[in-house]
Amino acid sequence: MRKVWAVIRREFVERIRTRWFWIMALLGPVFFAAVFVLPAVLASGGGVRRIVVVDAARGSVGARITQLLNGSPAFRVVRVPARGGVVDSLTAEVEQKRLGGFLILTDAAVDSGKAEYRGSNISGFATIGALERTIGEVVSAVRLEREGVDPGIVARARIPVQLETKRIAGGKTTGETAAQSFSLAYFMGIILYTAILLYGINVMSSVLEEKTTRIVEVLVSSLRPFQLMLGKVLGVGAVSILQFLIWGVSARILLANRSRFLTAGEPGEPDPIFQVPHVNGATAAVFITYFLGGFFLYSAMFAAVGAMSSSEQEARQAQQPVSWLLVVSFVSMFGILNDPASTFAVTLSLVPFSAPIAMPVRWAAGNLPVSELALSLAILLAAIGGVTWVAARIYRVGILMTGKRPNLKELVRWIRTA
Amino acid sequence: MTSPSPSPSPSPILILDRVSKRFAGHTAVDELSLSVPRGVIYGLLGPNGAGKTTTIRMIMNILEPDGGAVRVFGEPSGGRVHSERIGYLPEERGLYRKMRVLDVLVFLGEMKGIDRRRARQRAEAWLERLGLAQWRLRRVDALSKGMQQKVQFIATMLHDPDLLILDEPFSGLDPVNAQVMKDTVLDLRSRGKTILFSTHIMEQAEKLCEQLCIIARGKKLVDGALGDIKRTHGGHHLVIGFDGSLGAATQVFADKDLVSKVDNYGQYAELELASGADPQQILQRLVTSGARLSKFELREASLNKIFIDLVGPDAARAEARPDA
Repeated sequence: MRKVWAVIRREFVERIRTRWFWIMALLGPVFFAAVFVLPAVLASGGGVRRIVVVDAARGSVGARITQLLNGSPAFRVVRVPARGGVVDSLTAEVEQKRLGGFLILTDAAVDSGKAEYRGSNISGFATIGALERTIGEVVSAVRLEREGVDPGIVARARIPVQLETKRIAGGKTTGETAAQSFSLAYFMGIILYTAILLYGINVMSSVLEEKTTRIVEVLVSSLRPFQLMLGKVLGVGAVSILQFLIWGVSARILLANRSRFLTAGEPGEPDPIFQVPHVNGATAAVFITYFLGGFFLYSAMFAAVGAMSSSEQEARQAQQPVSWLLVVSFVSMFGILNDPASTFAVTLSLVPFSAPIAMPVRWAAGNLPVSELALSLAILLAAIGGVTWVAARIYRVGILMTGKRPNLKELVRWIRTA
Repeated sequence: MTSPSPSPSPSPILILDRVSKRFAGHTAVDELSLSVPRGVIYGLLGPNGAGKTTTIRMIMNILEPDGGAVRVFGEPSGGRVHSERIGYLPEERGLYRKMRVLDVLVFLGEMKGIDRRRARQRAEAWLERLGLAQWRLRRVDALSKGMQQKVQFIATMLHDPDLLILDEPFSGLDPVNAQVMKDTVLDLRSRGKTILFSTHIMEQAEKLCEQLCIIARGKKLVDGALGDIKRTHGGHHLVIGFDGSLGAATQVFADKDLVSKVDNYGQYAELELASGADPQQILQRLVTSGARLSKFELREASLNKIFIDLVGPDAARAEARPDA
């Protein structure tokens, strides 16, 4: 219908004309990259750590640890023999930030497995973990050698196993690793949550604008309230699709040139958890389908919230229950990632309010029966129908109301009488 | 009005047949029937809270009546189906604040069912005509309130509708725009359009309306041609002006054989004659009472007077408006 088309067009054109849209379009990838990379950067503690090994142990333990640590690009290590006053002067160095910290090594390391690290930052998991691993490796080698085991055998025994994980999808083994699946699922979860919330609230403020300026009265004298709501949701939806296209293209460009950015940075190996995932057509389709499903479901609710409120402040309060539904779905994503086939995960991916986030996350994280996907989609579609029906009735009454927000009882009456 | 009156069409352009609307525990419009002939200026009059806006919203399909029927252009459907032939100006008017003036007008034109190109041409022509041409690419919120009001008129007339429905069109207008509005209404009337407007200001209605309907508390009190209403409900009225001294005029006014009702302002009074009373006798009595008269005029009642007589002082008070 031509009038619905005009509403869609207005929503679309007016939105992409705003500065805000283009800021989002340009900063979106930066934001998501930050969400992605920041945990890795923070966990690694960043930069090279200058460390001193205070060696009070017999034999070559201290020297071997120093050598091994210096073999890693993350550490620059100097070994000093233990003397009186050395701890005090090193503490002063740490205070003055000339030193990251120092490791006190005594015979206890080999005998009872105890060593001490003093530093300005002892919560950097990656640093502490690397120290622990290195010390443990050297100490256990020394212990074996003291028992008379051939150093060659010790060295061979210590070759670690690297478990290569490959995902089976559609009867074929893909080249995707577990780490990639994880990061893809994580990434999709974040984008879905952010985008559904963002564009849902866009629909709400658009409804609210027409209501508070009273222009809605002229509009609903020319087209049915449902047509107006439909046009609005579709228009904002079109904007979101454009936003995704821009993000997709810029992500492609960034990834294609990623080597250029990476060589400029630290040469160290990237954190294995955050690898660039491979996105195939089916995954993209699942993502877009559930995004649209979630968007229609939530924006209908947000439209109803906008219609029953008379001001921004009121709307901000009234939208909380709707937002919480989304937040809960988002937070439970981490549980789903932990075990994508658990009853918890399956339930969430069937409940329509959490399915738009839960299902794509499960899809990305592991193999998924097509029947479950179909069932989840069917329930979601039915829910969109039902929720839209209720929301449209609230919308129709609400857009003409002024004064205080309706309570639950009045709302039920609106739905019944509209 | 000097404009040629088009021959009244046999079928009314708008008919309400016992239309009712109830809100939670309160009847806003109660079995209201009226009929608006083609080509007239029709006034829907009533105090605040009488149900005017609710009635108009039902005509426009914004609200569904709980009972009764609305017929527009002879068809048993409300205004929405005919929105391309109806110009509607609601009482509370607004525009998209952040859109450009021309874009808003084109969009609202599209809402009325005309295509973008025509909407744009007409919007440009109207903006030119009302002196807003240099503002066409500015955002609405850059315009003064008066200019925004003009943009709202344009939006109402853009699609050249046959029927205009204006809810309190003069409320909130500055004097210049009130003049523009009045001229526009008269111009449309001379081009054979029908205008229905609501107001609680009787002086305006008296000057503009040919036909009218007075409602209070959702019920019709009277409707018909202005002249007929004045003849039936006006009674005989005397307007008296004093020139300083009133003498014993108040005693004359108190004579129930002569005067049935009096509205005394001190230096000015409106009297309603008792049935069978002779105005000449009143004149004589006033002169002998020592009053100095500057004016003695036999006149039909003002619409305002008829309105207050019909509505009563209680209903004339503003009421709470659950619908607005």
